[in-house]
Amino acid sequence: MGGKPACTLGEVKNRADLIIYWGGNPAECHPRHFTKYTLTPKGKFTPNGRKDRTMVLVDIRETPSARAADIFLQIRPGRDFEVLTALRAIIKDQPVDPERVAQTGLTLDQLRDLAGRMKRARFGVMFFGMGLTMTRGKYMNSSAILTLAAELNAFTKFIAMPMRGHGNVTGADTVLRWTTGYPFGVCFNRGYPRYNPGEFSTIDLLVRGDVDAVLVVGADPAATMPQPAIEHLKRVPTIVLDPKVSTTMRIARVGILTAATGISAGGTVYRMDEVPIPLRPALRSPYPTDEEVLRRIRQTLAARTDE
Amino acid sequence: MAVTVVQNATCTFCGCVCDDIELHAEGDRIVKAKNACSLGEAWFLHHTAERLYPDALIDGQPASLDAAVERAAEILDRADLPLIYGLSNITSEAQREAVFLAELAGGIVDSHTSL
Ligand code: SF4
Repeated sequence: MGGKPACTLGEVKNRADLIIYWGGNPAECHPRHFTKYTLTPKGKFTPNGRKDRTMVLVDIRETPSARAADIFLQIRPGRDFEVLTALRAIIKDQPVDPERVAQTGLTLDQLRDLAGRMKRARFGVMFFGMGLTMTRGKYMNSSAILTLAAELNAFTKFIAMPMRGHGNVTGADTVLRWTTGYPFGVCFNRGYPRYNPGEFSTIDLLVRGDVDAVLVVGADPAATMPQPAIEHLKRVPTIVLDPKVSTTMRIARVGILTAATGISAGGTVYRMDEVPIPLRPALRSPYPTDEEVLRRIRQTLAARTDE
Repeated sequence: MAVTVVQNATCTFCGCVCDDIELHAEGDRIVKAKNACSLGEAWFLHHTAERLYPDALIDGQPASLDAAVERAAEILDRADLPLIYGLSNITSEAQREAVFLAELAGGIVDSHTSL
């Protein structure tokens, strides 16, 4: 694995001349990505905006984002890892079997063309979405695209960035990393942080029934999780903090109403490039913020454990 | 009703986190979200700061914030292995508090990323 070659969206705007979206549909899911950061803005080294850039879309179906692309590469579902691996080989001038490439839905010529563009780019960026990270291969696909980006740095400047979704999911990764050293699924039951996806991931914990109380904040798992996980949420005492009486709050032992992030609660949210952005809430909520409530619960718990 | 205008407000609906939104607020609702895309605009206009619910619920019954905080602390205190889950739609200040709480409770903290 090659680590995570990263940059800010400001650098993309000012420098990137090859923009690749992989397994994502920004036109519908991140509507201002093209106009604010990647395609149309005129940057310091991209003075002509859209004309200075080439956009490639790799996906299993032709989404509305394809209309914005110069090149659309339609691959067969579940073949991302193979395409990425073939690209890694082509970039290093290794032999690749055209018949096996054909199984991905693309031709060797198409891949050679893309590999050539990648190497010739002044500054390339691959944005990857859930079409890559949540399909066959999962984190191995993420690893493959990050490795490809890292290896391309032998030829030019290249980065890869996940297209993170709603709210502050990027912040969750970032805060957990700088407080515990790990991005998610961190266990403190031995007094120090331990990380083990599968063992300490929420769905596994709930389905196995490993946890005996749950505090939910900034999520509504009862609306989205598999039924066995929801059954366990109902079985154990659950505490929910939410700006509205959510589906999960309805099955919870304790529900606490809080101010809505960015609407009536201030603070900081991380953009997908991990740049922290301050919020400017326009309304005043009658409810306290999640931050205040969590702090009060911690102080009350600390007072109890001191006794 | 007087309209207050907030310049350079931040939209958190998607990972773009656009911070160039001009919000117009009237009383307890946002009436205009300039520069936002259709998703962002719908999100801003959908929220209000009305008091639609009690401060808290315990076993489905309206309760005070103090009582709910006390009860939450009691649940976490009694648990052998509590889980703190979510962290998507909250500020990073609140996320940090969630980590502190998990550490104190000797529990697990996990986010949407693990799904
Ligand atoms: S305005 Fe649109 S593109 Fe920008 S953060 Fe909000 S939803 Fe995303």
